[in-house]
Amino acid sequence: MGRVEKNNPPLQINPIKLSQPMGATLAFLGVDRCMPLLHGGQGCASFTKVYFTRHFNEPIALQTTAVTDVVAVLDGGDYSIVEAVKNVSSKVYSEKGGPALIGLYTSGLPETKGDDIQRVAKQVDSPLVYVNTPDYSGGLESGWALTCTALINQICRSTTDINPKKAVLLPHVSMQPLEVERIKEFIALFGYEVLALPDLSTSLDGHLGEKQAALSSGGIEVAQIESLADAALVLSVGESMRPCGEALQGKNPHMRWHHFSHLGGLIATDALTQVLLRESGTKTPPASVRRWRKRLQDAMLDTHFSLGQTGFAVVAEPDQLASLCRTLYEAGGRVQYAVSPTDSAVLEHVEAEHVIVGDLASLDGKEGDYSVLVGNFHCASMAHRLGKGYVTRGFPNWEEVGNQLKDDLLYAGSAFFLCECANTATEQREEHRSDMRFK
Amino acid sequence: MATKLKVKDFLDEPACAHNSHKATPCSAPKPGATSGGCAFEGAQISLFPYADAAHLVHGPITCVGASWETRATHTSWAGRDLTQMGFTTDVSLNDVIFSGEEKLQHAIDRIAADYSPRAIFVYSTCVTALIGDDLDQICKAAQEVYAIPVVPVHAPGFVGGKNLGSRLAGETLLRYLVGTREPEYVTPFDINLIGEYNVTGDMWQYTPLLEELGIRVLATLSGDGRIEAIQAAHRAQLNVIVCAKSLISFTRRMEEMYGIPWISQSFYGKRDTSAALLSIAEALGDRNLIERTRRLIEREEARLEENLLPYRRLFAGKKAILNTGGNKSWSIAAALQDLGIEVVATSVGKATEADREKAREYLGADGVLMQNPGAEQAPLIEERGAHLLLAGGRSLYTALKKQIAFIDVNQEKKRSYGAYAGLLNLAEDIKNALENPVFTLAGRNAPWDE
Repeated sequence: MGRVEKNNPPLQINPIKLSQPMGATLAFLGVDRCMPLLHGGQGCASFTKVYFTRHFNEPIALQTTAVTDVVAVLDGGDYSIVEAVKNVSSKVYSEKGGPALIGLYTSGLPETKGDDIQRVAKQVDSPLVYVNTPDYSGGLESGWALTCTALINQICRSTTDINPKKAVLLPHVSMQPLEVERIKEFIALFGYEVLALPDLSTSLDGHLGEKQAALSSGGIEVAQIESLADAALVLSVGESMRPCGEALQGKNPHMRWHHFSHLGGLIATDALTQVLLRESGTKTPPASVRRWRKRLQDAMLDTHFSLGQTGFAVVAEPDQLASLCRTLYEAGGRVQYAVSPTDSAVLEHVEAEHVIVGDLASLDGKEGDYSVLVGNFHCASMAHRLGKGYVTRGFPNWEEVGNQLKDDLLYAGSAFFLCECANTATEQREEHRSDMRFK
Repeated sequence: MATKLKVKDFLDEPACAHNSHKATPCSAPKPGATSGGCAFEGAQISLFPYADAAHLVHGPITCVGASWETRATHTSWAGRDLTQMGFTTDVSLNDVIFSGEEKLQHAIDRIAADYSPRAIFVYSTCVTALIGDDLDQICKAAQEVYAIPVVPVHAPGFVGGKNLGSRLAGETLLRYLVGTREPEYVTPFDINLIGEYNVTGDMWQYTPLLEELGIRVLATLSGDGRIEAIQAAHRAQLNVIVCAKSLISFTRRMEEMYGIPWISQSFYGKRDTSAALLSIAEALGDRNLIERTRRLIEREEARLEENLLPYRRLFAGKKAILNTGGNKSWSIAAALQDLGIEVVATSVGKATEADREKAREYLGADGVLMQNPGAEQAPLIEERGAHLLLAGGRSLYTALKKQIAFIDVNQEKKRSYGAYAGLLNLAEDIKNALENPVFTLAGRNAPWDE
């Protein structure tokens, strides 16, 4: 593990950073029949909507308060927010009726002029959760986590009761819908009924619905968030989600909360399994879990030859970075550079030679040290230009379809991820070899 | 900042048909019921295709973090394609409080040093406009140091929608670049292509034909564009607006300032492409050129017809419904008709008056102009017996429910439908859609629901 390099350049060149309101958007989309309402200029919402529509290949519910220059000067949010809530409540319906929740959050524009959304939120009758997410602070992870914390603080009721069968998963933002579902199923194997907050596994999982919904088309229900605090077990995943775990613990002192930095690879999945065995009072895990552990062990050995001779550069949000790098490390993958768009305490523990907080330009001049690039769509042209192998992970992926069905976690997902990386590395070496022959 | 453009002036464009009878031009967006991009996006769409210029966005991360490398605007520029790069100052809380000017200066320095662009466009955004960073002064100073144009683009998102942003971008070019350089030589057949962004290489479907006719594209706004070329754009004989109504302001002002006449044309489909080529020749006014153009059109149409034969057989009797926006409401309709497909309805909800008139002209009296396509298209599919729905992704469900073929018409499309050659691409895509069993299979009831 190397030291974390934090440069302070005057600009981002080919940024991988995504904004707080974008993270908040996704979090609200993990709540059933929610309308995310972005308080800002219309462009903030429009860019975000197009971005996620292309990533998920799904319609994205999202509205804007459409703050204009004149409104920005004259209004403190009283007009634009109240008017927007009125329009959203009266005009937007899904199959089951109007919005169950309006998720109000900010971009940099209203924060710069100092709108007090908490005060304005009180003028609104509709069920509403507010959160401040200016895009000049934080990033995708913090926007998601702040929203998740706001959902807990503003909706969830305190209690001292415990439902011994109930577990809550608090996933970080980079976990794709199928990953969330697989973890829920994994926990359920130990006898729990599992809820995830937020839950993209039933909203943005790419399912064919009855009809085009104007609101989020799935996710955790508002009523389920209200009564979340009687869960016996809370599992938060990702450093960014630690405050959410704390917030939920604050609602019920009897709740048992366990935190995991990530769930990638053998050791992390073993740790989760151990916790679940202990908490559920089970001796051995179900047969399928035991079988998948053996398959992962085998996959690690099968892939180690290719991975052990391969230098990687991995580009991702901090929590996903920790997961991907650790999984590669366990089978010998040599991560030379791990690049994160934002700073995080977890970066100190990322398994990589060099950990950089920066943009894609921070990899300039380092191409001699790695042959496979793991990262988002923006890494594609770089990989092609430099003749690197390329594994697409993270937001956005506009090149491929099926993003919501990707799974790199637990015993099973880690096995598939290692195979994909090892195959890409081998293929890259073959291409490089044939290049040499023709020269 | 006296040099800033007056946004109000651009909301009231005399060349827009709707402004002759509307009390208030281009109205303000409605909170909670607004879709579509902002002025910054419009400016970005219009200027980013200059691949030899760096595009630096002075704002928080959403503005460019979510939008760089999103548009397939191809370029033949031999240097690094700066269009497909993202540059942003990514302003922080600290910058919001203490100003982002110093950061902006350093950002310009770094870009000039590391990427040697032919120009730098510096875009203001809502946050940096609000905190009052002085882009004009910083750009002016940088321009003196680096001896390249460093151009402030004042189109922060909150001043309006995409169209307004495009207009502001056009005005910026007029103010800072157009007329600042003389072309190496001029010909009587020099034209500018305005509002053609060469998305998926659309422009390259017809520029070889122009070249063959001896018509030179002097400059573009901004498909496959060059800074040097737009600087000399004032010497063209004719401005040709391709599709984009938003840049009428630009061509009208070019006419006022340099006496350059303009025409508005579309290169979608056979008839429109032919009409566009002929209109350009006629506007240039050379009898010989017009004659050459007629012959070229004849040749190209004959070649196209031959290639279309197998498709025509397949498309005979097929009916389509089109649900898209702006000029596409009629230009794609025309292209479909060229393929022998009957267009029974098209959407005009967001279209301008002129687009609406054109749509009526192409569809005829029996065609339906849908005001609210979301609700109208499903019943129309049954009423008119349509076989094909061309629309944005949101309408896929409608097609599945009605079990008819679907084509996504959005600009994210990776294939060009422009001009004669593009029509063959469209024909191939429609054929593939009509033959694809997925639209009847994927929506099938589950065995336990039957």
